[in-house]
Amino acid sequence: MKTTKTIFQDGDHKWIAIVRDPEKPNYLIDTNEYLVAHGGQGLLLDPGGAEVFPAVFSALSSEFDPSALAGIFASHQDPDICSSLALWLEFNPGMRCYVSWLWSSFIPHFGGNADTFVSLPDEGADISLNGLPLQAVPAHYLHSSGNFNLYDKTAKVLFSGDIGAALLPPGEDGLFVENFDRHIRHAEGFHRRWMGSNEAKRRWCERVAQMEIDMLCPQHGAIYQGADVQRFINWFDGLQVGVVNG
Amino acid sequence: MTTALSTTAAKAPQAGVDLLRIVRINEEIKSVVNVAFKINIMALNAIFLAKRAGVAARGFGVLSNELRVFSQDLRDCMSSLTSLVHGCVNDVSLMLQDIRHTRLLRHAAEMTNGTRMAEVLARRERENERHAASLASQRKQLKRALEDAFRMVELGGVLAKSAKIEAAYGQSFAVPLSQVSSEFDGIVEEIRASLESLRHSAFFAGR
Repeated sequence: MKTTKTIFQDGDHKWIAIVRDPEKPNYLIDTNEYLVAHGGQGLLLDPGGAEVFPAVFSALSSEFDPSALAGIFASHQDPDICSSLALWLEFNPGMRCYVSWLWSSFIPHFGGNADTFVSLPDEGADISLNGLPLQAVPAHYLHSSGNFNLYDKTAKVLFSGDIGAALLPPGEDGLFVENFDRHIRHAEGFHRRWMGSNEAKRRWCERVAQMEIDMLCPQHGAIYQGADVQRFINWFDGLQVGVVNG
Repeated sequence: MTTALSTTAAKAPQAGVDLLRIVRINEEIKSVVNVAFKINIMALNAIFLAKRAGVAARGFGVLSNELRVFSQDLRDCMSSLTSLVHGCVNDVSLMLQDIRHTRLLRHAAEMTNGTRMAEVLARRERENERHAASLASQRKQLKRALEDAFRMVELGGVLAKSAKIEAAYGQSFAVPLSQVSSEFDGIVEEIRASLESLRHSAFFAGR
């Protein structure tokens, strides 16, 4: 079973990370799921693939009533992001799924119907979670061509999807980045190969550098906090992406 | 593993095998359609041949025309079978999806407490039963339609054999008419054998 860790709390406003399942088979990539809770409602960010649904569901249930989930935020269309959608909808058929307009007719192959999806325009959108303002921040081509981060200005937390992701070896898979230089080696190959556009990367770096961010939370690997957030942005800005070795 | 979980897990290979069997049925239907089209062309040529043979081959001409009608009826019949096969593919696909979803929901239920998940599972089970009942109904309809097709082909066989007899009265055209009627008979027999094997497909032994 996955474990949960509350990474931000102010009253009933919470960010809960759902991470690290020791029973997960190695052939499935490890993923982080996040729950934003506010006023008794929840938004689940990148709920994960179908095969990890039991582990995510049970971990989430230990902290939060899953029937109070108002929606799912899918950063993009990959199977490890939201192929569990149909299973979450079994539990709560009225749940909405926020996703780039680019994928709103692709993701229904995982589940849902015309009422399920809220298409996000390229320029982004504001999402209200029971009065808590959240912002879908464009991160197109990083890596998906229709890609969004989710920013919580109040908590100063940015869910960055695949940006900042690292494929961590056993023993170096703590929840938070502890030694940036050592950690970033596990992120470098991923970013060079998965991220497709240097221009898009530069625009993202410029955009998020202006935002107040205490925690940058990727979908794989460890969370950057404090000064490591800006370190990551600077590192990413200088990295050549869209590179295939060989 | 609980009994219910074992049952769900056991259904998965069965549904996979069913899908394979449906694919084979569909391939056989496609080959029958191709052969039925061949009968149509042959019957058209036979009608021209009978016209050239004149009065002596009038009966042969009538039978050739009937075989042409038979060919069209057979193709219509195969088209209905194809629709039913598509319905079966749809239902088996839904069942495969049901099996996976049920497995994952059950696993989640085992790891958590709460009545809400039990309700979700009960609803999922009802939906599974509905899809299983739909497949059972499609299976029956397909079996019935195959029986109808088989009877139609037996009638086609009678027509082909009658054409063989009529060919003998074709005087100077007796040899070519006999050759054509033997080809008719061979082809209808080929279709009959195909449908016979379909009637005994293990797919129909399922629930």
